[in-house]
Amino acid sequence: MAQAATNALRLPAEVLYAHELEALKETDKAPRPAGWQLSPRAVLTFITGGTAGGVTITPKYIGHSRLVEIAIATLLTDRALLLIGEPGTAKSWLSENLTAAIHGSSSKVIQGTAGTTEEQIRYSWNYAMLLANGPSEQALIKSPIYRAMEEGGIARFEEISRCASEVQDALISILSEKTISVPELGQELSASKGFSIIATANTRDRGVNEMSSALKRRFNSIVLPAPADLETELDIVRRRVRELSNSYEIGAALPADDTIRKVVTIFRELRLGTTLDSKEKVKAPSGVISTAEAISLLTGSMALAASFGSGEVEEGDLAAGLQGAIVKDEEKDRLVWKDYLENVMKKRGSEWRPLYNACREMNG
Amino acid sequence: MASTVQCMPGDERLISGGEGHVHLFGVRHLSPAGAYHLRTLLDQVKPSVVLVEGPSDATEWISQLSAKGVVPPVALMAYTESLPVRTLLYPFASYSPEYEAFRWAAANGADAAFIDLPSDISVTLYEYRKQALLERQESEQADEVLQAAREEAFESKRQYYTRQHQLYEQIAQLAGEQNYESYWERHFEHDGKMEGYRHEITELSWQMRRLLEDDERKADPIESAVNEVRESYMRLEISRRLAAGIPPEKIVVVTGAHHVSGLDGSLAPMTEQELAKLPRTPTKRTLMPYSYYKLSSQSGYGAGNPAPAYFELMWDCLQDGALDNLPSLYLSHIAQRLREQGTYRSTASVIEGVRLAQTLASLRGSNQPILEDLRDAAVVTLGYGERSVVAEAMVRTEIGTSIGFLPEGISQTPIQDDLNRQLKRLKLTKYKSAVATDLELDLRENRRVKTKELAYQDLERSILLHRLELLGVSFASRRTLRSDAPAWSEHWVLQWTPEAEIQLIESTLKGETIEWAAAYAIRERLAGCADVAEAAKLVRLSCDCGLTACMEEARAALQRLSVDGQQFTALAQAAFELSALVHYGSLRRTDTEVLVPLLQQLFFRAALLLVDAAGCSDDAATQMLSAIHQLHTVSQDQHERIDDEVWQRQLWELASRDDRNARLSGYAFAIMLERHAVTEEACEQEVSRRLSPGIPADLGAGWFEGLSLRNRYALLSRPSLWRQLDSYIQSLEPEQFRRSLVFLRRSFGAFEPREKAAVAELLGDLWGASASMEAEALQEPLTDDEQTAIAALDDFDFGDF
Repeated sequence: MAQAATNALRLPAEVLYAHELEALKETDKAPRPAGWQLSPRAVLTFITGGTAGGVTITPKYIGHSRLVEIAIATLLTDRALLLIGEPGTAKSWLSENLTAAIHGSSSKVIQGTAGTTEEQIRYSWNYAMLLANGPSEQALIKSPIYRAMEEGGIARFEEISRCASEVQDALISILSEKTISVPELGQELSASKGFSIIATANTRDRGVNEMSSALKRRFNSIVLPAPADLETELDIVRRRVRELSNSYEIGAALPADDTIRKVVTIFRELRLGTTLDSKEKVKAPSGVISTAEAISLLTGSMALAASFGSGEVEEGDLAAGLQGAIVKDEEKDRLVWKDYLENVMKKRGSEWRPLYNACREMNG
Repeated sequence: MASTVQCMPGDERLISGGEGHVHLFGVRHLSPAGAYHLRTLLDQVKPSVVLVEGPSDATEWISQLSAKGVVPPVALMAYTESLPVRTLLYPFASYSPEYEAFRWAAANGADAAFIDLPSDISVTLYEYRKQALLERQESEQADEVLQAAREEAFESKRQYYTRQHQLYEQIAQLAGEQNYESYWERHFEHDGKMEGYRHEITELSWQMRRLLEDDERKADPIESAVNEVRESYMRLEISRRLAAGIPPEKIVVVTGAHHVSGLDGSLAPMTEQELAKLPRTPTKRTLMPYSYYKLSSQSGYGAGNPAPAYFELMWDCLQDGALDNLPSLYLSHIAQRLREQGTYRSTASVIEGVRLAQTLASLRGSNQPILEDLRDAAVVTLGYGERSVVAEAMVRTEIGTSIGFLPEGISQTPIQDDLNRQLKRLKLTKYKSAVATDLELDLRENRRVKTKELAYQDLERSILLHRLELLGVSFASRRTLRSDAPAWSEHWVLQWTPEAEIQLIESTLKGETIEWAAAYAIRERLAGCADVAEAAKLVRLSCDCGLTACMEEARAALQRLSVDGQQFTALAQAAFELSALVHYGSLRRTDTEVLVPLLQQLFFRAALLLVDAAGCSDDAATQMLSAIHQLHTVSQDQHERIDDEVWQRQLWELASRDDRNARLSGYAFAIMLERHAVTEEACEQEVSRRLSPGIPADLGAGWFEGLSLRNRYALLSRPSLWRQLDSYIQSLEPEQFRRSLVFLRRSFGAFEPREKAAVAELLGDLWGASASMEAEALQEPLTDDEQTAIAALDDFDFGDF
């Protein structure tokens, strides 16, 4: 279990929203499935927001509540869940909050990389003990999935598509038989009720491996879209920026609403390849322009303003952040950004003028 | 949270028979559960009369609708006898409660009748409503006060309908559903009890009506009034039955739930005097097949529903008493379609899909997944998260390609009968499907078959399809796939749609059979025809449609018109049409010899007009070019029949004249060159005359452009010509050169790459360059200087041209 160290850089969801979970537990009268600490409907409330016994439940995932419903229903049928989406569409965020709500623990995580091995998915050995005493329970190092099966909890598998295909396929038999056999000990672990896996996968990025269809078949897949409209995205960004600045104790004032709107507008237009009124086409940069980037850009600008500036987010701080977020592939992106500045932003009138000037200076 | 609309105690509507009351059964049109529960009620009550909302003058069609062999979806159509044709459509699917009522009545010997306004009245009332809408658009000239009042009225109407829509969506929201359609399906289609269904639908509609009625009267008075008239007429029909001595408890009335509160006996029926005052436009009624696609594309209450094939599936399940099978049926249908397309999905995935859909439903406190749950489950388990993977399979499962069928002997308009007969005779029945199908025809005699009828089957088919095309029936459309397709082959695409059937029924006003209607259509067009080309087209059309008498009439009209014809292009086009007919007429087994004198006449007149007509602007020249080409084609195809000498003389005259359009003169010269009517010497002479230094650039280069429009090999095989062109261009002043560039670029722009290479080779030879050098020069990328020079041309002033 994760210990809530007070000086942790980032708190897990079950600690961050502990009071909300408590309130939901108290008011939740509906029947709870085996191994769940809340009823499905209370989980839905936890993710999409509402109230429970006078406590306001903040929405964690905004915009597509039907998708959350499908995700919960999937976990109810003890199927594994695969969240697919472009970088920055809140896949990990959703998976963390779901596990926190259902089991009160989001810490059983495998973080997938190109170097992930099959042992990290099943189990490995403490070799010193293995050599000294031979195979034994004590020498067994259990993977997060192993532990989730024992407890009847949910294991998270982040960035599954970054693992080598052979390693991914280690999941196939675990998911269909719901057992892990340990031949060295001559025993077999059967999953307790409530066990499931939530995996997240990237579709549009470098260094991802296609998943085999045998594995895909064992998941219920949900594609998480980018926020549907400007207001939803604004809402998401505003909330997350406030939460993050509280937990990181950034000294700067929250950016003005107008500033957030500008950043989100720029991001949406670059992502969609057209201006918001769909009157003009815009070239899209090579990288992914996600909501998560907008959030980190704004908190980054706040940090800049707090440490080196006036304590309020100014155009210069924003311009530096925008430059970094948009221009990734030097030459091409610089042109795309310049195009956008000259053809779209410049024509937006006096309100946008200071930001335009700062960006142009930065882009050179 | 799932909760039905609250119902106040003591406020219940009186809907069940009871003492002295008829049984009112409110339905949503196209609702499987409604049909199912209606049958339960009918079985309980065993009425002797079943009254259904629908045009009362179409009652005699009810027995036909429920006759053996009729396959829904079918529609009852009423149409006005006079032009413009206005139509009313009443579609029925197998799961329409109304249709179930007909079937029950037929099986149990009860009388079934329609009780809504007769179609001749409602078509008129609908017309009033439409006119009120039009008035607003037409009133732009009207004075401002009136205009403002109308705008206001329109605005309040819009607000009213927005509010109505919002109310329905609010109900869905309160019930925790995504939209009203989902609310409806979850709470009404899957609710198992007849009494509950009947009570709730009546209550819902009544409360909705009470909430909106006053607003409707203010915002859309016409709609509100029409509704009032309809209901009081329905009351009249009911009271007529009661007056005839039928006990009220033996009467079941099936109407849209909205009308139930208007029929409950508390209001007086319309009097016979009032009925006599209502305006009428005479109508006729007929039956027609309908399609699920059409049902699904007309959304909105009563007119259709978005997933007819899915609802039929539900209806089948309901009848078997196995609604639980619906999710697995739907998902396995989708998996099957996916497999047909080559995307393999396992049965295990289907099972997971059913489980997911059921869990989604249980999250809303229900145990029956609705379409929305099933769709989401299909996307997640069968599409691996991508909607696009399953989208087509979904559409096929939810909408499908079914069309209805009416067997022989079911009353239809004569022209519908005629088409069915013709389709059967020509073995085209299988093409009457909602899926577009290709049909290749070979018009030649098929010598391998025994009967004469079969030998010319394809020709007969072609005639029928041409006639349908002429009548504007969109059943068949002709495609030209290749320009070099032989004249005896035709390619058609056949697709049946309800629209095509409606168009067909509308043509019944032109004639009782397709042949008569087509002849009428030709005569109609002939009567208003004042153009030679149009008349010639009609001659050809009548030939294509196998209408010999019409062809003769069109020929006479053409002759009349051609006497005064002064337009070269129109005459040339007419001659071209006739020539094609004379050429291929035997293929269509029509005697086209009668057309020859007319063709000769047209050709002669056109030829004589050539030189005069050629004195035209460059814009008009483009049309002239194709006309000259057409006429020349005629002269080649029909050289035995027409006076080719006159044509040659005229061409020669045009080629040598300097005061005509230079492009046309060049073109005429090219034709002469092609026909070897010019000696090498004469050619050189003419070229050097045309391209001599003193000639203005637009004339010289324009002439060359006309020359290059025809056979380019004739040019490429004459090096002397290129030498002359070369020296001409070299002789031009810079300003002149710039002007001539436009024409030269235009003429060479149409050359194919290998022809351009050949030109380069010719010029290379002239300049003494070797083949390899000139190939190298062509392949080299442009230098910066050259690019700047070309870019400078972008600013070229075209004002003079």
